[in-house]
Amino acid sequence: MDPAGTDDVTATLFGQAAVPRDVGVFEFLSSSQYWTGAGGILTSLWDTVVLCGAVALVATLIAVPLATMLAHYGRGELSVTWIVTLSRAVPTFAIAGLLVPISLRRGWGFEPWPIFIALLLLALPPIYLNTYTAVKDVDRGVVDAARAMGFNERHVVFRVEMALGTAVILAGIRVAAVQVVATEPIRAFLGGDGLGRYVRDGLGQNNDSLLLAGAILVATLAALTGALFGVAQRLALPPGVRRLARARDR
Amino acid sequence: MSIVAEAANPIIRWEWVVDEWDQIREALVQHIELTVLSVALGSLVAAILSAIALRYRPMTSPITGFAGFLYTIPSVALFGLLVPYFGLTRTTAVLPLAMYTLLILVTNTLAGFDAVPSAVRDAADGMGLTPTQRVLKVELPLALPYIIAGLRIAVVSTVGLVTVAAIIGQGGLGRLILDGLRRTFWTPMTIGAVLSIVMALLLDGLIYGLGRMATPWTQRARTT
Repeated sequence: MDPAGTDDVTATLFGQAAVPRDVGVFEFLSSSQYWTGAGGILTSLWDTVVLCGAVALVATLIAVPLATMLAHYGRGELSVTWIVTLSRAVPTFAIAGLLVPISLRRGWGFEPWPIFIALLLLALPPIYLNTYTAVKDVDRGVVDAARAMGFNERHVVFRVEMALGTAVILAGIRVAAVQVVATEPIRAFLGGDGLGRYVRDGLGQNNDSLLLAGAILVATLAALTGALFGVAQRLALPPGVRRLARARDR
Repeated sequence: MSIVAEAANPIIRWEWVVDEWDQIREALVQHIELTVLSVALGSLVAAILSAIALRYRPMTSPITGFAGFLYTIPSVALFGLLVPYFGLTRTTAVLPLAMYTLLILVTNTLAGFDAVPSAVRDAADGMGLTPTQRVLKVELPLALPYIIAGLRIAVVSTVGLVTVAAIIGQGGLGRLILDGLRRTFWTPMTIGAVLSIVMALLLDGLIYGLGRMATPWTQRARTT
């Protein structure tokens, strides 16, 4: 991203946020001096959130329409079996590593394209799979009823199939988001920063407090992402579907 | 350090591969060792957890919930959390990697046992098998295809995650990737990344083949 990026390679790779070794984990996490400023926790957090948000958004924009259309027209059944197997095994670190030289050659720098693409490959499968299953599993009777009531194809897709599948589609986005946030910290070892930098610096400086604090930050963000999406999942249900769920509970 | 002249730094320089073959072989061996140790430990724990869940059904959701929770802990964080306690050792690498395999292994094992038709179970009982015999001679073989499918995914994802273990100095192919990055010298990086992907595919094929040999009846059923 930054024009000076390629020359700062070593600076970021061995970036030493000089943290004294006698600072405790709690002290590090609670004192404002480590939260603000360049290389502060807030900046790193923002870097991570922006990248993960962009990945999740792009993955959703690609996977949801694609899977919806394929499932709507009953195509690509085989893709699901393949993706189920592949999705648990995406070697993000290796993929990002392979992309770094290519990215540098094109003048795109160490960051963020290699890690962005590697994370995107990680995020696409769960969203695709859940969307495909959600749309596919909508009761054919309901679809027929909608058609009989004069819904055109677009209405069937948006107001019936996707609406009824909302919960499952959102669950897929949630899984993808959590995996992306959980994997993003390797970026700190690929010439970038983000929240993983404290783990990297802690290891590099042999500073256990910094290392533990970094690990806690990374793990907390992943847990928070899961929780936030859990709430969003409930709030984002279309009103009709929510009424339906409530009626079923009764 | 500025980028070395492009001609001197191709994506892969074959002389390096020949010269540094010992280093590459060492990384390959370490990678396989870490993968095998992690999956073996994971399988052992998963077998115990699955047995508990199958014997005491109400334990199923706490057990899968726990495995699911472990799976969501970021690998970088888990390695980082263990370093202060176990140091930069193999234990620090293997424990998290084994934990990550639990979810898929337990889920698939339970799915396999659940897929055994109850009629088959009744027939086994009717033939006078003891519960232990029924589990070992009837249910386990029938669940095997599911267990093997889980094992394949566990191995492939572990091979990918072992590269990340290089950040705590545990060698493997990830060390080649990190070395290449630090020196902006692409050959070790490409070698490390490509070999780790090839290794994942080969191990996957190996387990698939072994699985077919272990469950010959699945082929027979399909051809007739």
